[in-house]
Amino acid sequence: MSASATPVMVAHDLSVVRGGRTLVHVERFEVRSGLVHVLLGPNGAGKSTLLKALNGLEQANGTLEFEGRPVQGAAARLALRRRTAAVAQKPYLLSRSVLDNAASGLRYRGVGRREARAVATGALDMLGVSHLASRKPGRLSGGEAQRVSIARALACDPAILFLDEPIAALDPPTRRSLVDDLLQILDSRGIAAVWVTHDRDEALAVGDGVTFIERGEVVQTGPAMDVFSRPATESFAAFLGLDTYLEGTVVAGPGGDLRFVLGDGQELSCGEAPLGHAVACIPPEDVVLLTTAPEHTMSLRNVLHGEVREVRPDGRLLRVHVAADGLEIAALVTKAAFEELGLSIGSPVAAAFKAAALHPIPRHERAEQAP
Amino acid sequence: MQIIWDGIREAMRLIFGGDADVLQITLRSLWVSGLALLIAVLIGVPVGSLIALRHFRGRRLVVTTINTGMAAPPVVVGLLVALFLTRNGPLGQFRLLYSTWAMVIAQVIIAFPIVAGLSLAALQQLDLGLRQQIAALGAGRFQTFVAQLREIRIALLAAVMAAFGAVISEVGAVIMVGGNIKGQTQVLTGAIVQETRIGRFAIAIALAVILMALAFGTNLALTLIQQKDRHSA
Repeated sequence: MSASATPVMVAHDLSVVRGGRTLVHVERFEVRSGLVHVLLGPNGAGKSTLLKALNGLEQANGTLEFEGRPVQGAAARLALRRRTAAVAQKPYLLSRSVLDNAASGLRYRGVGRREARAVATGALDMLGVSHLASRKPGRLSGGEAQRVSIARALACDPAILFLDEPIAALDPPTRRSLVDDLLQILDSRGIAAVWVTHDRDEALAVGDGVTFIERGEVVQTGPAMDVFSRPATESFAAFLGLDTYLEGTVVAGPGGDLRFVLGDGQELSCGEAPLGHAVACIPPEDVVLLTTAPEHTMSLRNVLHGEVREVRPDGRLLRVHVAADGLEIAALVTKAAFEELGLSIGSPVAAAFKAAALHPIPRHERAEQAP
Repeated sequence: MQIIWDGIREAMRLIFGGDADVLQITLRSLWVSGLALLIAVLIGVPVGSLIALRHFRGRRLVVTTINTGMAAPPVVVGLLVALFLTRNGPLGQFRLLYSTWAMVIAQVIIAFPIVAGLSLAALQQLDLGLRQQIAALGAGRFQTFVAQLREIRIALLAAVMAAFGAVISEVGAVIMVGGNIKGQTQVLTGAIVQETRIGRFAIAIALAVILMALAFGTNLALTLIQQKDRHSA
């Protein structure tokens, strides 16, 4: 997938206003062919509203261009919906056979029954559910129903596939296999996708690009890895689960490297950031716990000595909080590693992390910005 | 007890013997109620849908009025229709009072709120997400409307059954606006009332059996369609 792929859709200054209240607003949003764009954010952030505006389901202010032409008025929005397709969190299958469900999008677009059914059969086959063609929706599992819903969308050969939390209601194994299949199909057919989720792991797993939305506004947008490793705001960092926050100032060190100076004068090596007051966060997965002096850890520029203060499960890992040199650092480790280190509450331990793992977020308090 | 058995025996003779009067009354009942039901469905489903899918000022009042109409006593409907159709009434010039058309009008007014109210309730219960999904699949406004009606077809059949039951069995309105004139405007319910009044219980029972059979047969057919659809949904 190439970042220079052609934009299929461009939105400028797009906003959805209801009852005098702006539900969501984006300055600029591009959908490029062959790429998966994730709209990430907490519940109620405006992601789904934006998705509906992009899909022509919701009337919006501003400019929306699809394949180089402006989308204005109800007829243009219908034309847009007939060149794209959508999958919601619930499969929303109609009370007819799986095959007729898969063919329904094509039928609405004026394709004859026989041709629509033939194309739909191919789409069901692609999703591995063609054997369910004669079944009724009520006799499908959640995963099967969602596969049929996706097949129905793909049967329409969409230029863009809009997905609103498509795997949120599925169990983890079903999610994994569906995501693998879907990404493979999108990639092989060069279909652009806009994928809404509030799950950061899902966003990282599927997204080429990520746009983080909060309270109806875009907070940060960019390639997924960049956005995840360098959150622009404290709230986004908190959303990503980065619970180590250090207040301090970014200064240039004597060797030209960047230093993050804490309130008590302690200095840490940090990643690229503008000089000045900042709040630094450290991804817990980038923190290594050591019980002996580091040997082959030259790249671990920051080593803080302290003791284990708290341990709590975090999915299949353990989140270990270390009180070190007056700071509290969180680290994610496997249970096996925790046991191998022989750690328990109060054990002496060192928390080590690379300079790049310490990401300072510039502070832009209103008081500071005021003239 | 004997009188009942005699009545049932006579009923069987009239029904299976093909009595011309009984046949005529039965066909007239079916014609009046069937036409009224058809008109009520043709108007009631779109009106109910429009109210369910649109938001407008006074919507609650309209819904309350329709729901009240579902419980309107047929005699009240008969009185209103009679007042409008009487010679000095607003529609007196059409000279429809004591005709089968007057009976159809009265039964449309009885059936309409039932069809509209039940379609409205069924459509309101449809998930808004489903409506959006249909639109997102590329359906235009009319296609979305038809697709939604397909989704509530079981409830629509229930509305048709309820409305048919209400009009085929009502007696107040048809007597008031039709006059219960033998050979012209008399339907099954009116005939049962008249035959009972003059003590011809056998014919009254025969007509009652036919009325029940009609109600049962129609509802059985609609129920079979409805349940077949439910199992295949």
